[in-house]
Amino acid sequence: MNFDLVIAGVGGQGVLTIAAVLDRAAHEQGLYFKQSEVHGMAQRGGAVSAFVRLSDRPVASDLIARGSASLLLSVEPLEALRYTQLLKPDGWIVSDITPMLNLSDYPDLAKVHQVLFSAPRLVALDATRLAHKAGTIKAQNIAALGAAAMHLPLPMEAIEKQIRALFERKGERIVNANLHAFRKGDAASRFTVALLAAGIDGDTVARVVSHIHFPPHPVSAEVTAEWAQRLRAPDDAAHWIAQFAQQGELARLETLVAA
Amino acid sequence: MSDLILLGDEAVARGAIDAGITAAYAYPGTPSTEIYQSIEDHARRHKLPIRGFWSTNEKVALEEGVGVSYAGCRALVAMKHVGLNVAADPFMNVAISGVHGGLVIVVADDPSMHSSQNEQDSRYFADFAMVPCLEPANQQQCYDFTREAFELSERLKVPVLLRLVTRLAHSRAQVKLAPSRAPNVPQYVEEAARFTLIPVNARRAYAQLIDKQGPLQAYSEAHPVNALTLNGQGKTGILVSGLAWNYLNEALGDTMGNYNVLRIATYPLPVKKIRQLLDASSDVLVVEEGYPFIERYVSALGLMTERRIRGKLTGDLPRMGELSQDAIRPCFGLPVQPALQLAGLSDVLVGRPPRLCDKCPHSDAYIAIKEVIAELGAGVRVMGDIGCYSLGYLEPHQAIHSCLCMGSSIGMAIGAAHAGMTPSLCVIGDGTFTHSGMAPLLDAARENANIKVFILDNSIVAMTGGQPTMATDEEVVDLVAGLGVARKHIRIVEPTAHKKHQTIATIREELAYQGLSVIVARRACVTYAKEIKELKEIKAHKIDVAVVSA
Repeated sequence: MNFDLVIAGVGGQGVLTIAAVLDRAAHEQGLYFKQSEVHGMAQRGGAVSAFVRLSDRPVASDLIARGSASLLLSVEPLEALRYTQLLKPDGWIVSDITPMLNLSDYPDLAKVHQVLFSAPRLVALDATRLAHKAGTIKAQNIAALGAAAMHLPLPMEAIEKQIRALFERKGERIVNANLHAFRKGDAASRFTVALLAAGIDGDTVARVVSHIHFPPHPVSAEVTAEWAQRLRAPDDAAHWIAQFAQQGELARLETLVAA
Repeated sequence: MSDLILLGDEAVARGAIDAGITAAYAYPGTPSTEIYQSIEDHARRHKLPIRGFWSTNEKVALEEGVGVSYAGCRALVAMKHVGLNVAADPFMNVAISGVHGGLVIVVADDPSMHSSQNEQDSRYFADFAMVPCLEPANQQQCYDFTREAFELSERLKVPVLLRLVTRLAHSRAQVKLAPSRAPNVPQYVEEAARFTLIPVNARRAYAQLIDKQGPLQAYSEAHPVNALTLNGQGKTGILVSGLAWNYLNEALGDTMGNYNVLRIATYPLPVKKIRQLLDASSDVLVVEEGYPFIERYVSALGLMTERRIRGKLTGDLPRMGELSQDAIRPCFGLPVQPALQLAGLSDVLVGRPPRLCDKCPHSDAYIAIKEVIAELGAGVRVMGDIGCYSLGYLEPHQAIHSCLCMGSSIGMAIGAAHAGMTPSLCVIGDGTFTHSGMAPLLDAARENANIKVFILDNSIVAMTGGQPTMATDEEVVDLVAGLGVARKHIRIVEPTAHKKHQTIATIREELAYQGLSVIVARRACVTYAKEIKELKEIKAHKIDVAVVSA
């Protein structure tokens, strides 16, 4: 088993924290790994990345070769696009849709989303707002990690255990906020995967999923199937996308189902 | 499985601790900073009696390390590659004098210049000084080679250079530790001649260094990591060193067995093994991280016609930047793998360079400086220096026009003034000023050079993660005055939006003066406010203790 993961974001967004959680979880699972990261000048608000390479055999290179990552996990949409050349053609992208606007020439966000949403295997979520709902906006990176979890060769519990260990000294409230953020991210990912498997167009899925306030547990099979049905016809999908976009805030699935 | 998850830098630190160092010294610089940082953290956490600190600069750090060695104890000295330029004088000479207690100098090179102004390859320095160089390829070797370097240093009485590169320094993996060794008992050098390099002694010492080359050569020839694998007469040979081994491994995978391979991890080069590789191979590809150091030797600059030698000099591998699996694959006719393609990607993908933090005092300093020099018309140049404030070159400030090396801004401003540039301005941080800005300021003070020096005093070495500065606040003013700058032309401004007009007025006044002015822009770094407070308390406590002891 060889699994290459690229983690991307902006200095200060917690990219290295995600990497540290995964290192420890992999170590505990008896896997070998190498994890390289960026320090120094780039950490001042610049593009930051970490490479995590997991294997059941010793890992040689600290770098990920072109086209060999199975997963690209980004806490910022533009930063997700920066590393797509490392991703396998059928690799997964998991990305927050919230931009980090510390650039004077940040491109048109709608265009960034359009390019990102064209990726065939994508989980696009509003990790920032999900983290906020979970109790702290600082858990944005952990919400994004939650959305990546089901695609990783590591058990959920092993990752959760390391999240707990990492935040333990900050108190129970912060631990729980991070665990909730993680599970909300996971719910987003499972919902996305189910809709894509049901044949819903990727752009539609991204536009819907990134507006949903997920609960800290997987959405039920019934509700998921109902949404797959609703989004199947392009006209209906367009209607729902517009509905979600109008909400502005994240919408709870239940309320929209009721409507 | 393995014991600990460590960065390459941290593995070196643990190796040094477990090798029984008495002290460690360093100057912060990416990618080497975490070496000393983790020694200090570990020693504090486990209450180990390891001495040392962040030194004023790399030269001083190495001299402190030599002092430990003179006393018969082990010392680790860490720096980035360009730091070794600063420490070159003691480095070249401790090679001649030799060591007493084990002395290991860890130097982290930065191929691809992730955080540096050049990609210089420290193997040249080891070669130049005629001292051994060990080049680990993974985190485990970082630990093992550090320990081995101390043994080698004491056995052959030479300083040993341990060469890291960014990708190893800043990459984590599992590392197994070995039982630790107790520090040496101090035992000073008995013969004063050994470390007294007046010519009569130096000639003898140099002869001894030359004599050590035989045993060093033998050490490299016998080293188990320098493994020669011959898979058949007339096959293509590969000579691979350091981190490049990892990339080669992944590029070739199971097809490695189709080649004759010599792996190198120690220098001086194991020439007998290289001879065997050449004899067995039709041609040889040299794969090394950094400059084409081995390739130049083996190919004799391309003059060697007996075998075709390929590598960076021949353009088979990229001459610049760090290697990767992808850089190596084309040398063997292997394609790079296809990747995800997204339509319209290039239209939206813009760079995200680093930038000064929100509310950074340097931003306010640059805003004021720019506003004043704009009044003087186009063409005013500001000499810059190394630190967070180097980012003043970029948008939105675009306020500095040079960044050469640590401490260079003041000397360059003096030279530019001599060449007729008025006004001649420069900016330097508090950390860089004490690192190597005081000597040029002494030059400026001696002739009252007409330059305007801005010292951006933010009370910390911020760029590398918040290490203690040597002087801040009134200490900076006292240093500047002590170097001979007139008190009335040492001005203090507070770089804030609120006090901008006062800052600008002060700068205008000093620009009107034909002579040396130092304007200290004093405001603590916002990112490391907590660390600054702690560091100031620690410093005050140390002074109190000294007073009580006195």
